[in-house]
Amino acid sequence: MYSVHSRLKWGVTVFFSFFLLTASAQNSVKQNFQNAAVYAGIEVGSKGVKMSLLEVGKSSKKNSSFTILKDTSVNTDFISFTQPTFQATLNGLHALFTVALKNYEIPSERIFTVFSSGVKIQAEKDEKTSWILNLADSFKLRINEPKRQVNIIDVTEEARLSHLGIVPATRRYNTFLIDIGSGNTKGGYFPGGNTKDFKLFQLTWGTKSVANAVDKRTQDDKTLPNFNKQLYRVLAGEANNEVIYAVNLSGAYNMSDNIAFSGGIAWSVATLMLPELVENPVVPVTYDEVLKFSEKLYANYASFSDSAIKKNLTDVTLDKNMIGNEVKKVNKVFDQRSLMAGTGLLLKIMRQFEGVYDKKQFFLVKNGAVGWISAYVDQSISGIK
Amino acid sequence: MKDSKSILLLVVSVLLILVSFALLWTWGYQFNDLTKAKSGTVFVIKDSTAAANATRDSLKRVYTATINSVGTLDSTWLTADSLKGNLDIKLSEFYKLRNEIAILLKNPGSKADIDNAKTKIGELQKKVEQLRDRNVEVERENARLKSVLEQLSAGNTKDAVQNLRTAVFDNKPSPEKNTPVAVFAASDLKLSAMMVEDDKEQETYQAIQTDKMIGTFTVRNNNAAFNNAEIVIVVLQPNGRVLQNSGWESGSFETREGKKIYSSKLRFEYNKGEAKHLSFSLSTNNFEKGNYTMQIYQNGVMIGKMSKTLI
Repeated sequence: MYSVHSRLKWGVTVFFSFFLLTASAQNSVKQNFQNAAVYAGIEVGSKGVKMSLLEVGKSSKKNSSFTILKDTSVNTDFISFTQPTFQATLNGLHALFTVALKNYEIPSERIFTVFSSGVKIQAEKDEKTSWILNLADSFKLRINEPKRQVNIIDVTEEARLSHLGIVPATRRYNTFLIDIGSGNTKGGYFPGGNTKDFKLFQLTWGTKSVANAVDKRTQDDKTLPNFNKQLYRVLAGEANNEVIYAVNLSGAYNMSDNIAFSGGIAWSVATLMLPELVENPVVPVTYDEVLKFSEKLYANYASFSDSAIKKNLTDVTLDKNMIGNEVKKVNKVFDQRSLMAGTGLLLKIMRQFEGVYDKKQFFLVKNGAVGWISAYVDQSISGIK
Repeated sequence: MKDSKSILLLVVSVLLILVSFALLWTWGYQFNDLTKAKSGTVFVIKDSTAAANATRDSLKRVYTATINSVGTLDSTWLTADSLKGNLDIKLSEFYKLRNEIAILLKNPGSKADIDNAKTKIGELQKKVEQLRDRNVEVERENARLKSVLEQLSAGNTKDAVQNLRTAVFDNKPSPEKNTPVAVFAASDLKLSAMMVEDDKEQETYQAIQTDKMIGTFTVRNNNAAFNNAEIVIVVLQPNGRVLQNSGWESGSFETREGKKIYSSKLRFEYNKGEAKHLSFSLSTNNFEKGNYTMQIYQNGVMIGKMSKTLI
């Protein structure tokens, strides 16, 4: 039964991966970047396997020295460390590798495979480090490349690479990047004007952990007003102390002009708050704008439905369908309470940088997920590593 | 001998008395000056007729001086058509106040009338100050219009029309209450298409050769200094979409017509009255042929606009 289930899951994963990627392969890669050197980075993360295709070598000041062409992912939940999730992850990894190799015609030496820090941390916590090694060996066996490197990245290196992959070179040394994840928050900046020294910033709070803490406090009263009240208490209590301490410790206030936020909540807030900028991977925001957005989330959540947002768009040049679809996607991933929790945490961190005289520019990054793997590929091929 | 001594003593005594009077007079004079300097124009009204008349005369002098100082502005008022609406209101208030004071000073009935006249003269002086400030603005506009005329007569029609447009935007009637107001005026707008070859930039009019667009303009205001002034630039492409460098440089902002996407935002320190020259650069992979429109916004209000055609 397990074998049938596993095969079925593998088949479905491969089919969908091929379907999704082949559909866009001809258009996005071959047409637009005929003479480009295209590379692939495949990351095994906590939630699944992600692949980013990038073009390297165009010396663009806008986005380092590479351009992200496409990214795709398969959800497998590897950090559950069960046989089915192990198998699903192996299948996903193999499927994406095959797509890169066969459909995009990217040679094997231009395909990089790596484990994220989240997997490493969870494996160490659960004493399941052997599962990572087993997965790497099984993958090498399946693709028949025993000498292939499948590296494991630590948290500082991942944050450093995220910075290199997301923040353009022109803003590299005055931008503090903060990735708000579901279970934690990490980020940092380059204090010494070089890309080797990286100051790491970490919080044990993320969107989901805030929501869980609030939920625990609500006890019998599960109403929205009570959720809002308890959210305030969580953010004003333990979370507040940790945020203030971590920001002070980072020393980022005096060293940064720009504070950029990535992660799921950054993508959601950016999409719902500034739908007219749907095509921009990064959007500038102010503390007051996010505060108003947060208040509206609680008081008038219906105004963030795809139909309500489309209705309010006045610019005729905007692609309303594209905006509607992206808003729908956000509303599928985050419900009202998760959005409130994530936005609350975002505001709490922003508040630490909202000085009276020294105003920082805040940015919300939408495509942060592909940041570090892209920078990993870029760094690997440029021989820095 | 005794007589001569007495005479000497008498002379010394008289001299001392004279010196004392002189000193007393000097102190009194200085004290009077000091009081005047401290309170600007302070009129001490005494309840005697003489004092009242003296005060009235003094007020009349201040009033006349105030009225005379306004006379120099008249020629500007008459030639400032575009600002006439605002000035008409200010002038009618001014004339009304002037007549009221004239009546009060002509026949002051009581101390209250004189007090009233004193207050009104204060108001009149304030109004004159306001009109004088407005006059500076009018003169600046006249200078700009004059330069436009000069450009027109020199055959530089394109720049002239642009500057004329800017001037027209500046003189838009004041917006309604609670709507954003621009405090800067923009002039000398220029949008150039540039091709880059061997690190050298050269202006071009061909879309196919264009690597980037460079915009320059000057902003000025005579009312206040700013530590962190902000100007927003929108460059519309021929297809109507906003030209953007990257998400890190563009964003959206509120205008009277709703939210708009901007191409670039410029922040700068500003000293009152300074002509601040600003510039920005925008690049994209492919510049289309057609009309590119540059719009300059401050506080959500358009303060300048111009177009550039690429063939």
